Parts: sequence; C-alpha cells; structure tokens
Amino acid sequence: MAASSPSRRAPRPTPTDGFSTPSSITQAETEAILLQHIPSDADPKPILTKQAHMQFLVRNLVQGFPARYMSQDASQPWLLFWTIQSFSALQVGLDPGNKQRMIDKIMSAQHPDGGFGGGPGQAAHLLPTYASVCALAIVGRPGPGGGWDQIDRKKMYRFFMSLKQPDGSFLVAHHAEVDVRGIYCLLVTATLLDLLTPELVAGTASFIASCQTYEGGFASASQPYYAAIPAQSPAGEDFHAKSARLLETPRPPLGEAHGGYTFCALAAWVLLLPFREAEAGGRLPQIDVGKLLRWLVMMQGSEIELGGFKGRTNKLVDGCYSWWCGGAFAFLEALGVNGAAEGAPAGLPSGEEDEQREQWDEVDDTLFNRTALQEYILYAGQHPAGGLRDKPPKNADSYHTLYCLSGLSAAQHRVSPSEARRMQIHEAWVNRRSSVPGAVLSESKLPDQTRRKVFEEALAWAEDEGGSLVLGGADNRVNATHPLFNLTITHAEGLMAYFYGQSLPPRTRLGKSTGKA
Amino acid sequence: MPSPASSSDTSSALYAERPEWKDVTPLPQYEDANPIAPIFYSEEYKDATDYFRGIVKTGEKSERVLELTESIIRLNPAHYSAWQYRYETLLAIKAPLDVELKLMDELAVSFLKTYQVWHHRRLLLMLTGNPGPELKFITESLKVDAKNYHTWSYRQWLLAFFNDDDLWAGELDFVDAMLVQDVRNNSAWHHRFFVVFQSGVREGETERGRIVRRELTYVKQNISLVPNNPSAWNYLRGILDFNNLPYSRVEDFVRPYAGTTTDGSTTDLVDLENPPPSTNAQLPCSAAIEFLADIHEKEGGKDRVLQAIALWRSLADEHDTIRKKYWEYRIREALKSVKE
Ligand SMILES: [Zn+2]
Repeated sequence: MAASSPSRRAPRPTPTDGFSTPSSITQAETEAILLQHIPSDADPKPILTKQAHMQFLVRNLVQGFPARYMSQDASQPWLLFWTIQSFSALQVGLDPGNKQRMIDKIMSAQHPDGGFGGGPGQAAHLLPTYASVCALAIVGRPGPGGGWDQIDRKKMYRFFMSLKQPDGSFLVAHHAEVDVRGIYCLLVTATLLDLLTPELVAGTASFIASCQTYEGGFASASQPYYAAIPAQSPAGEDFHAKSARLLETPRPPLGEAHGGYTFCALAAWVLLLPFREAEAGGRLPQIDVGKLLRWLVMMQGSEIELGGFKGRTNKLVDGCYSWWCGGAFAFLEALGVNGAAEGAPAGLPSGEEDEQREQWDEVDDTLFNRTALQEYILYAGQHPAGGLRDKPPKNADSYHTLYCLSGLSAAQHRVSPSEARRMQIHEAWVNRRSSVPGAVLSESKLPDQTRRKVFEEALAWAEDEGGSLVLGGADNRVNATHPLFNLTITHAEGLMAYFYGQSLPPRTRLGKSTGKA
Repeated sequence: MPSPASSSDTSSALYAERPEWKDVTPLPQYEDANPIAPIFYSEEYKDATDYFRGIVKTGEKSERVLELTESIIRLNPAHYSAWQYRYETLLAIKAPLDVELKLMDELAVSFLKTYQVWHHRRLLLMLTGNPGPELKFITESLKVDAKNYHTWSYRQWLLAFFNDDDLWAGELDFVDAMLVQDVRNNSAWHHRFFVVFQSGVREGETERGRIVRRELTYVKQNISLVPNNPSAWNYLRGILDFNNLPYSRVEDFVRPYAGTTTDGSTTDLVDLENPPPSTNAQLPCSAAIEFLADIHEKEGGKDRVLQAIALWRSLADEHDTIRKKYWEYRIREALKSVKE
C-alpha cells in the first residue's frame, strides 16, 4: 500500500490551467504515450540493444535504404556519416573492403569546382561537405584511393569564399539560403582541413551573435538591414553590391530559438574563438551566455516527458535534440560556465549549512539531468526492431539513430577542454604545413601562430574518465564524442594531425579511470 | 497531399520513352554497378534524375528543363540541385515569374516542411519586387502548420527585406489572431517580438515608453489567462531585457503566481496593471517562482539573495526537479556574489 509505494511516483502532467489549445492537446497526447514507456520499479535496468541497432545500420549499408529514403537522395553523404558515426559510437569499425566502397562513394560526390554535393552530379553544398569530410575522417586514409589526398582543398576554399555574404554569413550553396547549420558545417570542415583564414571568417562571429533571440537560444539566421536600398529597383540577389550599405543594427533573427540552430551557432562561436583577438575594429561581438544556459536547461522535458529534450519552447520532446541540446552543454564550459561545485561555499547561514553542504557532495557537475536524458533515449528512443527514433510510436531512421546515440554519449561522458592536453599539443607543435599534395593554399594567410591555436584549441577537448555516468551498467556504454565535430577524439586527431602536418603526443588518461574503456 | 491530376498526367511517361527527349543522354548516378548503401529509387525518380544529370552536364537551359526539374521536385522536394538549376534556367530564358509563383503556391502547401520551397519563393520575390500578396498567402499556409519554422522565417524576411510600412501595418493584429488561436504558439510570440522590438521601433523612438507599457499589459493578460505558459514568460523577460528595465518592475504582478493560492479578496478589484491568475490556474507556477527568484537576485543584498535561494531550492526539490542541477548552480553562483 502507501507504505510500500514505489519510489518513482507518477509524474505530474504538464499543467494546462484548464485552458486547452492545439499545443496543449498534442502535448497531452505525447505525454500519454510516453507514460507507457516509463518503467515501474519492478522493471530491470534499461538495456541499450546494441546488436539490434547494429543490425539496423548494417542492413542499410549492405542491402541499401528503402524507398522512403528517396527524400534523402540529396543527402547521401549524410546517410553514410550517420551510419558510420553510429558504428563509432557503438565501438564498431568497418572492414577494409567496405571502407573502400564508402570512400569511393563519398569521393564521387565531390564537385569539380570544389566542395561536396548530395550525390554524383549534384551541386556543391555546405551540409554534405561536412558529412563527406567527417565520414572520410572515419573511413579514409592518406595515399592513392584513400580519400584524404583527393579532397581538392584549393577549390573547396574557393567554393567557401564564393558563398560569403556581406554580413559575415554564408549561403549553404549557390542561390541557396543562409543559415547557421551551413556556417557550422563550413567551420568544422575548414578547421579539420586547415583551411581557415582571416578573410574567410571575417564578420562571421558578429553574424552568429545576431542570431541569438530574446529567449537565449539561436535562430536559423538574421536579416541585416541596409541603408539606401534603391526604392523601386528590382532587388536582385546582388542588390547590396550596388549602393546599399550594411547597417550594424538592426539585424533581427529570422525564426525563433531552436535546438538544432543553437547547437550549430554555439559550436561555430567556439570554433571562432581563436580569431577573437584578431577581429578588427575594437568592438567584439558578444553573446549572452547566462540566457543561453537558461534556455538550454529549459529545453529538457520534465519527468513525464522522460527527460528528453525539445527543440523549441512549447514543442514536443524528440530524440535528436538529445544531441543538439544535450550536446551543446559541453560548449558552455569553453565559455566560462562552470558547473563544478568546488565544495560547499562558505558563508552559509548556520543551520542551512549542513544541509546545503550535503547537496554539494555529488561529483556530477553537469547542468542538465544526465540520468533522465539517458532514460528518454533508452526507454522511448529505441525502436524495438532496432535503430533509434524521434519518439514512440515513430519508426527508426538513420538520422535519429546517430543523434540519439550521440546524445546518449553526451549524457554518459564528460568531455571538456583540458588545459593539460592543450599544453601537450602546444609544446609538440612544429611550424610546418602538411605534406598533402597541393596543400599550401595560395590564399592562405593564416599565421602559424593562429594555426597552432586553432589546432590546439580544437584538440584540447578530452574525456574526464572520472566524470562518466552510464545508466544501466557498463554494457550500455557508448564511445565519447568530440563535442565540436561529433567524431571520436581519435578520428578528429587523426585527420587534423595529417592536414596540419603535426604529430600528436599520446593521450594520457585524465582524472581517475573508472572501469574499462 | 495529392497533386492535381492535370500536371501529373502529361508527365507520366518516363523521359526515356519520350521522343522529345531523345537528344539527351541520360547519365546514371554511379559508374560502379554496386555502390555501398544504395537507395531504392522508384523507376520514375531514377529516370528523371538520370536525365537531369545529363542536362546538367551539357548545361542546357530551356523550357523543357523547367518540366524536368518540376518532375524531380514533385518526387523529392529536397533535391536542392534541381531547385538551383531551375532558378538559373528561369533567369536564363526569362520565364514569366507569375506562372512560377502560381506553381509555388501549390508546392508550398504540398511540401511545407522543405527549405527549398520557401527559399525559391524568396528568390522570386527578390526578382518581382512585389511582396503585396505574400502576407495573405503566408497566413493561409500557417493554417496548415501554425509552427512551421520556414514559413515564419519567410514572413519575417519579407517584412525586413522590403521594410514597407504597408506591409508592417497589419502585423500586430495578425499576431494577436495567431495567439488567440494558440496562446502557447512560441513562433507567434517570437514574431511579436520581431515586429515590436527587433526591426527598429516602428512607431518611432519617442513612442517607446508607450509601446513597452502596451506590451507589458498584453503579456500580463496572457499570463493571467494561462499562467503555465513558458512562451509568455519568456516574452515578458524579453521586453524587460531588451529595454533595460529591472525585473522588479513587475514584482507585484508576479507574486501571486509564485504562491499556492489566489487571494480571493483582491479579485473584485480590477487592477489592469496586475491581472490575477485565472480561477483554473495551477499554482504555484514554476516560471513565476523562477522569475521572482531572479528579481530577488538582481535586487541584491544578503536578504534578497537568501530569498532567491529559498525559491530556487523549492524548484530543485519540488516544483521543477528535472532541473535540480541548474537550480543548484544558480544557488552557488548567487552565494559567490554575496561573498564578494
Ligand atoms: Zn528529431
């Protein structure tokens, strides 16, 4: 009876104040479904059904993708990246034969004028360019046929520059839209391949900052205003080149704060930090980190939503935001937010002190609820037939499989910039460029000092071995992933060391190790 | 959503079987007969994209390219290369843009969730320079999907890009209508913020005080109606932050929402400044507790900070337990500031 009632009390439905609207109706429907996935105390520990997920992934890779994936025909490098990075998360590698087939398929999407497209014969686009390069980080290698030396970096750089807009943003492809996903993809690619230059990133941090909304998260883009837009001239794409002048303000965000855009904007912001000092003109762009943190924590659903993340205020939880929102917390540390409790603070009024001190004894310093997020993924995110998903009763797909697994990784592991690792890499740096054929870009004006900084900041991220928390036991562990790239740290290191012409000192374990890696 | 029979009837035959396409050499996607991870395309799609690759290779830009790209777009609206090539073709052959826009009216409704339909429309509008009919069209689209990100961004782009007083004139009424339909629609709240504050104060700098009062009244009324609505609380924060006003300005309003009961004695007094929680309100409302704690913290001083801490503690332990870590972080940070 009441005395032996389960510790997990029935979670409270989201309050509706007796006022129902379309949002509260879909919310209640979702809660009713999720409620069926909340375990009772009698249930055994949750299991990550790794084998079922591997079967799902391997089936797609070997047999192919069913017809409903036709809508992803312009995202073929993504299908490969989602699949192969899911392998990495699940600690599985690919055999050399299939690796080669994957390299060949990716390289067939490289555009003759630089960058990668969604498939052979498709136009170059920033999103598949990211997916291609990251997939090559996993399956590729130097040398003939290995992919790495066949990336045309000169042309890729020219492609990037051809997309640049006066407000520091980039089109995702020629004649296409501007949005922060594209900027994230460009900056990751340029960072990995040693393509960053001051001219490439000029104004980009200001653009990113202008996408932060009043809620604290980031929007897809912002719209700059121009002075003296010719009144009735047909405002073609190159209208601003004529007589209009870009105004510093206003640059209102287009669209509301959104999990996917927030991840991309924030990662882009962090990737641009090495350029902060170089940014000319005194006034550095700023973002409001406190508001951002608040918005991010508010995206985590309550107990009745099993602690999954949503992508916007008053929307539904969805497994992919486990990564876009859950994964974004790692960046806060790079921005000076410290979740670590350095023992109980002194100066508490007596009486409260003991109680408060007890609360701080936990070592877990993550600012979102890591356990709850793992519960969402394990209880609601896994499709019984393999693969992971948005939410029940939806089907699994490649995209949600990766981003649920990546989100699970972000909840299990603590990966943060390590000063010790940064110093190691800093010391080992030598001023030289890669031996990749044609590697020295005539356009490249990045001083070695900045290259070194880009390199060491990107690779200083390290897993704190004492900071992991794996719900359901060690068998549920997935690999740690680099917060900026969503590659394992090993894959990110391998690719960057090659393209920067560096050799990396071996990683030593940081923090105390708990169990087997 | 089924497409009208007329347009699909004429294009039902495969391009490979049509004599007027005989001169084009279709280009298969992969030289390798057995690529890894193939997608199982429909015959129709494979046929159209083979011909598309053939066309791209020769660089042909002609009337029939419009037909071909339309076929592909109808089968896969996310095929950005088909859109891109179509746009270049429209320019090259100086195709009538009103016809293209009419087609877009139909495709936007069928493929609401794709970036490309909205972006293509944007490109067309930059060419026609005639935003007049657009707002009505967007309003209709929002009836199908009231939170569509692309639709809202497009509306905001249109307003900012053309920046025409006639376009702006009806926006407050429009956004109010959207919020009446669903006061929890965060896209609509964001739009309101965009319209009122972020594109320059439309009614002039001297009007700012009046506008702030109007917006505070508006959001308070909506919080009163549905207190547990994070969108409205975020809007309230937004107004105050944007205009550099202290949170304490609304302390009297917030207090009843952070308590557990509505005080019946005040309800017959109509206080427009501080509308009370509705009778159905489920109190306390965690957004109000958080807001009150923020007021205390910002006002500063040891007493106020301790009050803030007590409120955060109640969120961590009772009212918003999922965010326990965050509330404890706020407590630690506040304590640091008291110490300093
Ligand atoms: Zn999703």
